[in-house]
Amino acid sequence: MEKAFVTILKVLSWLLLISLFVFTLYPVIYTLLGSLKTNAELTLGKSILPEDPQWVNYIKAFKDANFFQYGLNSLIVSSATMAIAVLTSSLSGYVLARYKFAGKKLMLSTYQAMMFVTIGPVALYPIMNMLSKIGMEKSMLSLILVLTGGQITNVFLVMGFVQRLPRELDEAATIDGCSIFRVYGQIILPLTKPILGVVALFTFRNTWNDYITSLILTMSNRKLTTLTVAVVQLKYSVWAAAEWHIMLAGASLAIIPVLSVYIFTNKQFMSGLMEGAVKG
Amino acid sequence: MISKNKIKQKGQIYLMLSPNLILFFTLSVYPIIWVIRFMFYQYGGPGTGEPIFIGLDNFRRIFTKDPIFWKSVINTLVYAGGKILLVLPLAFFAAMMLTKKNLKGVGAFRAILFMPTILSSAVMALVFYLLFNAYNGEINKYLMTLNIIDQPINWLSAKNAMKVIVITSVWGGIGNYMIYFIAGLQGISNEVYESADIEGANFTQKLFCITIPMLGPVLKMIMMIAIVTAFQDMSSIMVMTEGGPINSTMVMFLYAYQFFFPISPGSLVSTQFGYGASVSFVSACIVGIITIAFLRFSRKLDEIY
Repeated sequence: MEKAFVTILKVLSWLLLISLFVFTLYPVIYTLLGSLKTNAELTLGKSILPEDPQWVNYIKAFKDANFFQYGLNSLIVSSATMAIAVLTSSLSGYVLARYKFAGKKLMLSTYQAMMFVTIGPVALYPIMNMLSKIGMEKSMLSLILVLTGGQITNVFLVMGFVQRLPRELDEAATIDGCSIFRVYGQIILPLTKPILGVVALFTFRNTWNDYITSLILTMSNRKLTTLTVAVVQLKYSVWAAAEWHIMLAGASLAIIPVLSVYIFTNKQFMSGLMEGAVKG
Repeated sequence: MISKNKIKQKGQIYLMLSPNLILFFTLSVYPIIWVIRFMFYQYGGPGTGEPIFIGLDNFRRIFTKDPIFWKSVINTLVYAGGKILLVLPLAFFAAMMLTKKNLKGVGAFRAILFMPTILSSAVMALVFYLLFNAYNGEINKYLMTLNIIDQPINWLSAKNAMKVIVITSVWGGIGNYMIYFIAGLQGISNEVYESADIEGANFTQKLFCITIPMLGPVLKMIMMIAIVTAFQDMSSIMVMTEGGPINSTMVMFLYAYQFFFPISPGSLVSTQFGYGASVSFVSACIVGIITIAFLRFSRKLDEIY
């Protein structure tokens, strides 16, 4: 009896797992395939596959909806934010892991507290206010720096990683008369490549996908709008009621870059998250 | 005697910390200071006069004259509760199924389930908005084709919208929490299971006497992350329902947000920065209280095990 019960349980488990796969994949496949349908197909059609791939939808998205510009913005902003995030979090992570200094306890406890304390996107108002006062509310640099933020999680990730590196390496270098900068640049940076890779990957993804912060910081300067913001804004535009195929083409444009990167880097995403979870 | 070298080193240390510290202070700390200051004021923004100090009036208003805020608190609790109750068991199930190493292609299976986490929640919220559309959305189309329903369901009505946003966020979260569970499960050594097998333990016994207790610390962390993120979830709700209809999906931080920025392009903003600041503050405190309550509760659980 027990064997039968166990077998039924196993079958049900696999059915549930497969349902999860279908549930997870369906919206993405709908988006990608739907971007190639005509609007009539989308509203009335029964088949999941497009009848006659409408690549013209993408051309419309690029031309009429200006998605080439927005995609470029996203690329520049995400790359720049990624670079600054890696730099700032690794500098702080290294110092916190290796050196004592006045205020270290305060810094650590404030960072830890801020991981759970939050006031949400409302914080963007005082930030925008401050930026207007110095005339920088329309600059791309402001967008990049605000998206970079305090990097609390990444600082802790790097700090944990460096703490596990043997101290002898630094000490050998400092005896030789290296300044801290050189120890950082020539010894620590190469050794922390694995964790910095994780930081870079997650930062790029978060920045590319970001909506609210990017929305608010580009409100006054439409030329700066990122792809994700532009795609979501389609919901409110003329395209919404009658042009689902353009919305799906836009959505595909927003997700295809990340998906392509994901195909090659999914192991790193998942192991990076696991590392952070176990050590965090 | 402090050597010149030491001073030079200290200088270098602070120099290296400064980029990150400056960003942290201006982007994380300063806004909190701003909120704590302005929650005692009445202020409509530049051009509407000076901020007026009104003491605790904003808080009086929150606690006595703002039923919408308290509706948003309840909505947030319902949303977070619904999301966590669905996401965590499903993620745990997926992790249990996908932790065996002798399963071919397990990496690919995990990658499939993890995929939603790398996609923009705002963009996918737009897609789900289309999927759940009453007349042209695929969900209703399938349900009607399979004869499960004969009338299209209005998924984004005041009655159903909450279910839809919970489903959307569960979709986006399963893979993420699955990875945390996998990390936790991998931390349990095989020997414990082997000795249990020798003693003749069956599946249920192993699950409840070994797996779940030994997941304790990881589970605590997962719950903390789940609670804090669920309470902060805003972008997908903002895109799908804008908090409506009739505030049925208005969550705390979205409610505070609308005193500063339009929820959708073209919607009116009732700029009440002082009041908005006080709402944000009370919301943050509510999250804090729940977090602390959870930590206390989980400490008691630790004692039992």
